[in-house]
Amino acid sequence: MSKIYGSKGPRLGAVLAVILKWAVLVFFLAVAVIPLLWLVLNSFKTNLEIQTSPFSLPARPGFVNYANAMAMANLPRLFLNSVIVAVGTVVLNLTASSMAGFVLAREAWKGRETVRTVLEAGVLVPILAFMVPYFTLVTRLGLYDKLVTLVLVYAAINVPVSIFLVTSFMRAIPREMEEAAIIDGCSFVQRFTKVVLPLSRSGLVTAGTFCFIYAWNEFLMAMLLTSSISARTIQLGIRFFTSQFITDYAGMFAAIVLSILPSVLAYVFLHNKIIAGLTAGAVKG
Amino acid sequence: MKNRGGGSAFKIAAFLVPVGVLFAAFFLYPFVFTLFASLTRWRGIGAMRFIGLGNFSRLLGDPTFRLAIRNNVTWALAAGFIQVPLAALVAILLARRPRGWKVLRTVYFLPNVISTVALAMVWSALYNPQYGFFNGLLKLAGFEARNFLGDPSTALVSVIVSSVLYIGYFMIILLAAAMNIPQELYEAAKIDGANAFQQEFLITLPMLRGTLVTSITLAMAYGMRHFEATYLMTGGGPAYATTTMGIDLFLKMDALRYSEASAAGVFLILLGTVVIVAIRRILGTKDPMSEAGQ
Repeated sequence: MSKIYGSKGPRLGAVLAVILKWAVLVFFLAVAVIPLLWLVLNSFKTNLEIQTSPFSLPARPGFVNYANAMAMANLPRLFLNSVIVAVGTVVLNLTASSMAGFVLAREAWKGRETVRTVLEAGVLVPILAFMVPYFTLVTRLGLYDKLVTLVLVYAAINVPVSIFLVTSFMRAIPREMEEAAIIDGCSFVQRFTKVVLPLSRSGLVTAGTFCFIYAWNEFLMAMLLTSSISARTIQLGIRFFTSQFITDYAGMFAAIVLSILPSVLAYVFLHNKIIAGLTAGAVKG
Repeated sequence: MKNRGGGSAFKIAAFLVPVGVLFAAFFLYPFVFTLFASLTRWRGIGAMRFIGLGNFSRLLGDPTFRLAIRNNVTWALAAGFIQVPLAALVAILLARRPRGWKVLRTVYFLPNVISTVALAMVWSALYNPQYGFFNGLLKLAGFEARNFLGDPSTALVSVIVSSVLYIGYFMIILLAAAMNIPQELYEAAKIDGANAFQQEFLITLPMLRGTLVTSITLAMAYGMRHFEATYLMTGGGPAYATTTMGIDLFLKMDALRYSEASAAGVFLILLGTVVIVAIRRILGTKDPMSEAGQ
């Protein structure tokens, strides 16, 4: 920090700077945390407490709101749908992206850079603009209101980001590793499954985490492409089935807390991977 | 090393098939389809009838869509020139590695992994006129309760505030770039007698320029395509006060006005591209997308 000289001026300035710095850091900490704390707190209150004393702690905290939420809103089914969609998205996206990433990073062929640039440029496209073609394509293929549809759409939307992450990780693998494998008689496919894939595990985990969080949280396409409880995800559940909660805010808050747990848990365990992935994007653009 | 274990053209192509199919179906086809459908008259069934640029002139004459464009521009400006500078401020502070900076970095990004649905419902509750957090504060301070989201004069600002204060994403990008700045530059400046403020202004900010331009570009592009938080908190109301191009597109589609919705889609893509190109020109970095953070 700044040097402290004999005179009073700079010292006072330095103290002020430290206070200001921590004021800024604490303010943004509050912005990030207070709405979530408020949500969790309210999920343990009674409806009367929520209405009359918004800032107090719950008098008798219990899980009754959570039990009500699970009972009322078809929540278990919606939860299961979301798990299927998110896991399916991760599996499909990683399979496709790692195969393409392998030939984009480890093979020399004509047009490679063009293909990579086009795929990665997909990140700049506002998917929002594709509501009409997505809807008409999905209905024409008879895929409307099916879980597999969301898997396909989410896996596809995440292709540009995953290709970028997976390709940059695979490029960093030293040539010698593959050369040794080739001398040992590895085929093309074995080079992929036995050498490149295991060595790019870290990049796959990062890409997979992004896919999971995206698929778990996505709202618009799920709303557009599904209509029944058999294919709707948890996000639509807490959005639309809250009409059941019209008088039960406490139950609604409990349902929201349950809906954010998986992505929060993924973040708690994998935040280093996520931050590394974002940083890779920053360093390369 | 194109020899044993190398891929034949057939094998290489085979490995590209899965991504190729996904990309063709959900990026290339929709792009071409949207361009084409925007030039036709079509309500989802029957044949498309080519009508030229009619949908676009209708769109530009539509007061709701013009309001949506204005709101998107407001979103883009707020994201680019409020959210990103705040993120830069926090990134610069964290780059000095104060106590607990890693924990702070992790917590600042936490809201970014939570669904917009959940955040929008929480913020709607925080803004609630009866039991909301902000009206609780207003009442404590002796003011009248307000209907933040229901009042056309405060709705847009309220939704923007709920989103722009989440600085995590750009903060992480800018922090990574700030930490990449060679330490020797600061050492040299210190020897020359530069204090902490001078160091940030004379070294950090100029060195962050490329990443800042990238961040502003991305933030504004996201602002132009803003949809979810607003749709979930106000549905575009009250009286279209918060509507955006995305919401307008969705409502047109819902009303089976497919060709007009496609024109809105083309507009969305076009304006997003214009923003990216214009910001690069105005802020004067030749290629922010590749220069960032290097």
